[in-house]
Amino acid sequence: MSIIEIIGLTKDYGDHKGIFDLTFTVEEGEVFGYLGPNGAGKTTTIRHLMGFLNPDKGSSKILGLDCRSERAEIMKHLGYLPGEIAFFDGMSGMEFLNFMAEMRGLTDVSLRDKLVDLFELDTKGKIRKMSKGMKQKLGIVCAFMHDPRVLILDEPTSGLDPLMQKTFANLILEEKSKGKTILMSSHSFEEVERTCDRVGIIRQGELVAIEDMHDLKQKRRRIYLLDFDNPDSAAKFADSSGFDIIEVNENTVKLSILGNVTELIKALHEFTVLDLNTETSSLEDIFMHYYGDDSQSITN
Amino acid sequence: MISKPLFKAAIKQNYVVFLIILSVLMVYLPIIITMYDPSTQESLNEILEVMPQALIAAMGFREIGGSLIDFIGSYFYGFLILLLPMIYTIIVCNRSIASHVDKGSMAYLLSTPNTRGKIAGTQALFIIVSTTIMIGIVTLVGLVLSNTAFPGKLDVKAFLLINLGSLLLYYAVTGIGFFASCLFNDTKYSLMVGAGLPVAFLVIQMISDVGEKTRFLKNFTLFTLFDPDKIIAGEDFILQFLALTFISIVMYGLGFYTFNKRNLPI
Repeated sequence: MSIIEIIGLTKDYGDHKGIFDLTFTVEEGEVFGYLGPNGAGKTTTIRHLMGFLNPDKGSSKILGLDCRSERAEIMKHLGYLPGEIAFFDGMSGMEFLNFMAEMRGLTDVSLRDKLVDLFELDTKGKIRKMSKGMKQKLGIVCAFMHDPRVLILDEPTSGLDPLMQKTFANLILEEKSKGKTILMSSHSFEEVERTCDRVGIIRQGELVAIEDMHDLKQKRRRIYLLDFDNPDSAAKFADSSGFDIIEVNENTVKLSILGNVTELIKALHEFTVLDLNTETSSLEDIFMHYYGDDSQSITN
Repeated sequence: MISKPLFKAAIKQNYVVFLIILSVLMVYLPIIITMYDPSTQESLNEILEVMPQALIAAMGFREIGGSLIDFIGSYFYGFLILLLPMIYTIIVCNRSIASHVDKGSMAYLLSTPNTRGKIAGTQALFIIVSTTIMIGIVTLVGLVLSNTAFPGKLDVKAFLLINLGSLLLYYAVTGIGFFASCLFNDTKYSLMVGAGLPVAFLVIQMISDVGEKTRFLKNFTLFTLFDPDKIIAGEDFILQFLALTFISIVMYGLGFYTFNKRNLPI
């Protein structure tokens, strides 16, 4: 069953800004990564799903209910993490969580307390004085605390340190195992690759691809940095191998590989490699490698 | 159709401003009432004659009759009641919707199972209830003080009517503020209209009182619909009261309609 259903959704802000004829669904129990550079239309899509915006054309449904006209009903089953953090003036973390629970008519706070512990959230301090990461954690607790069936998370890990990012990824996997349906937006591939089943890529308001995470990893091009023991062997490796060499600089060779690295490991067998690093490829790189560097440049 | 936690949050957010404005009102009201002295009324008028007439007229102190209600009507309801609670209503109206949209906290309110109508309705109710309480306290304290200081001297019916009139005026003023708050994404614009318009009305009212030449300006201010002198004199005020009620209903209605229909960039 499709939990989230977007059909021909269009919102034109002029000047090629907005979203154009988006169509995709997210199935029950699926974690869907919604990827795109800043300004691509991720948040605009999410605002439609949340019923904040009126579409120019098309419609979006969650649990079979129209996102705009039946929003209040949908919200009984939905947890939302906004992309921008804005809370209430002068409330402490716990006051805010209590307020949101009351607004939802939620009385069972056991899950909330569990999440507060999990994210090591200090709920006593005033929100105004919290760090960005602390506010983000507060938003996450708020989105999950009522055990919703559907979760919509706008750039959930921004501001979190690597340890908390991992905690968050585990939380997503745990929720997935409970059969929750999750849509999370991101501008980085690394953020979604651990947790998502499928990925939708949006560019300049248009959906350019929907890929299975497994297929995407297969097709993914990675940049490797190899440190050899001396410049000669670096040069020798670069000349002899059939790899896509990007650059040779003294001891270091930079190359890119599509798919798995078995061949590289075999080829390195006869060399002394001091260090092997991967360079995290930006979303832009992924776009370029998957969809070609066509005339529509991907900026931002 | 009211969200109790949101109403509670609105109280918590606004009670400080409410108390500040109320205490300023509570400082002026007793001073003005106890200043009344029928025997010195004449000498006070003499002092006023020495002062520039235009200035006195602009402050609403004009044609002071001899009775207590004339005195209070002129000194308190001519200007102070127009200015002080307005500061409160401007702040509260702006905070009700526009500031939540501007800051983005509206996203949290609307991520709960409450309709937009319920959110706006709760905020509007808070504005109306708190304004009514403020004017209500002024009325009560006014009655008690007048009857303590000058037993039996106050025209109670006229006093109650003046207060009813100022309350209706505030329903209309907050209606404008609420509508502006619902209409704009930016507190900047919400304030420009929600505060700018009432302040402009007040300024126009003051200028129009200065003299015959500027009298025509009365047609351009909402505050003309609240005239304490006419209410005391028992002249027709029913039509004015009905007009204020009508404006309030239309303004609040427009606010709800706009907020329900519009795009929210949150």
